[in-house]
Amino acid sequence: MAQLTHYEALDVERGATPEALEKAYQHNLAVYDEAGVATYSLLDGDQRRAARGRIEEAYRVLSDPALRAAYDTELALRRAASGTVDAAGRRLPVTLPDPVTGADLKRFRESRGVTLAKIAADSKVGKRTFEDIEGDRFERLPAVVYVRGFLQEYARAVGLDPRATAESFLARLPRR
Amino acid sequence: MSNALPVLVPRAPRRQMWSVGGGKGGIGKSVLTAALGWQLARLGKRVVLVDADLGGANLHTCLGVPAPQRSLADFVMRRVEHIEDVAVETNFPRLRLISGAADMLTAANIKHQQKVRLLNRLRAIDADIILMDLGAGTSFNAIDFFLVSDVSLLLVVPEPTSVENGYRFIKSALFRRLRGACDVPEAREILDFAMDPSNLRGIRTPVELLSAVENECPAALPPLQAALAAFRPRFVVNQVRGPADAAIGQQLVTACARHLGIRAGNAGFVYHDDAVWQAVRQRRLFAAEDPEGRAAQNVRQIARGLLQGEPMSFDW
Repeated sequence: MAQLTHYEALDVERGATPEALEKAYQHNLAVYDEAGVATYSLLDGDQRRAARGRIEEAYRVLSDPALRAAYDTELALRRAASGTVDAAGRRLPVTLPDPVTGADLKRFRESRGVTLAKIAADSKVGKRTFEDIEGDRFERLPAVVYVRGFLQEYARAVGLDPRATAESFLARLPRR
Repeated sequence: MSNALPVLVPRAPRRQMWSVGGGKGGIGKSVLTAALGWQLARLGKRVVLVDADLGGANLHTCLGVPAPQRSLADFVMRRVEHIEDVAVETNFPRLRLISGAADMLTAANIKHQQKVRLLNRLRAIDADIILMDLGAGTSFNAIDFFLVSDVSLLLVVPEPTSVENGYRFIKSALFRRLRGACDVPEAREILDFAMDPSNLRGIRTPVELLSAVENECPAALPPLQAALAAFRPRFVVNQVRGPADAAIGQQLVTACARHLGIRAGNAGFVYHDDAVWQAVRQRRLFAAEDPEGRAAQNVRQIARGLLQGEPMSFDW
């Protein structure tokens, strides 16, 4: 649970009300309670203690309006640093070179924190295919009609315009 | 090549198979299954209760029905041809029972082919819901019946041992489903390896298992992810003694999501009620004795919730 945000640690929305926060806090403490049954056989005592500590910390910050506001700013800055949103959480316009290369796509995908495994799972397309797209391994890709579909799935998953992305990439494909 | 379009035949409302499992005996599985079946029938469904507790059947006692002359054993052993012939009427409208009583001791380990025939015929019974009471423990029979069900309920009581067994049941069931969904030999090896609790690589949870598969044979991953996503056991917490106990179902759902990567559900809880075991002693169904009693109301709430979430509606 170490890399979770405070919101994720308590499993609440960004805009959670104090009541929702309180409820989530009590619920999560009960999940990891020393005398409870929910995680008794899944985690050992140390792990449960660590989980409770993480929940306490998240609650301490989110239940205090001033600390929460500061934390929200910190989160926003962290996202802004990834280059795709500004400090207010607004999406920055993205400029990718046209025609776009597999390497460009890969860099962009990574900046968005989307894994290939996730795209593969959501689209039910093999991860290898997306690796071949990012690696510009044209010779291993199937017929254009399929690749267009895969590119659109990929673009949708990372937040790019599906049609423009697919056409831009396909423009570099050698004619077969 | 034919240009004919495929003809779309409207599908008849599909019968649903529901099952109640639990990793431990003596937690009230049969009593709850009987009450749930009764409640569903009361809500207008045509229900067939199936005592699939091969080897320890006692659903008939919970319903106040004398041990039926014919049982599931007669069908499995082919002493009767049609499974409907072993279904008996109960004292309640729309509720029938297929007993597992009598000589099923050896049948707890029925062969695969028998099991497939049994499941196919059960699904073909003319009813709205086939509700199966599974045996205690994690035999492949119990797990397979659990896995083929449209609604898979897992009964626990608020005790560490019961919850531990419940998780064990879920993990065994999931690994069996994943293995069935996996046709890549290397990935199967990882799965088999992970099933051994003493495995050296320390694969303890489905999450760890899938990441091991992703690293070693990514091509095998998508069907496994799909199987994991489709796996949806629902908890029922029985013998609850207060609000803290009643909250356990939701805690189990959170724990499953975080530590097992399983999207479980919370179907509800049933309060402990002395009237329940008093009714069992008199071989009567507690819910029918006092439909407005607390435990009976809890069961009604569970039945209603599950029917609301059903994938398609029936004509009542």
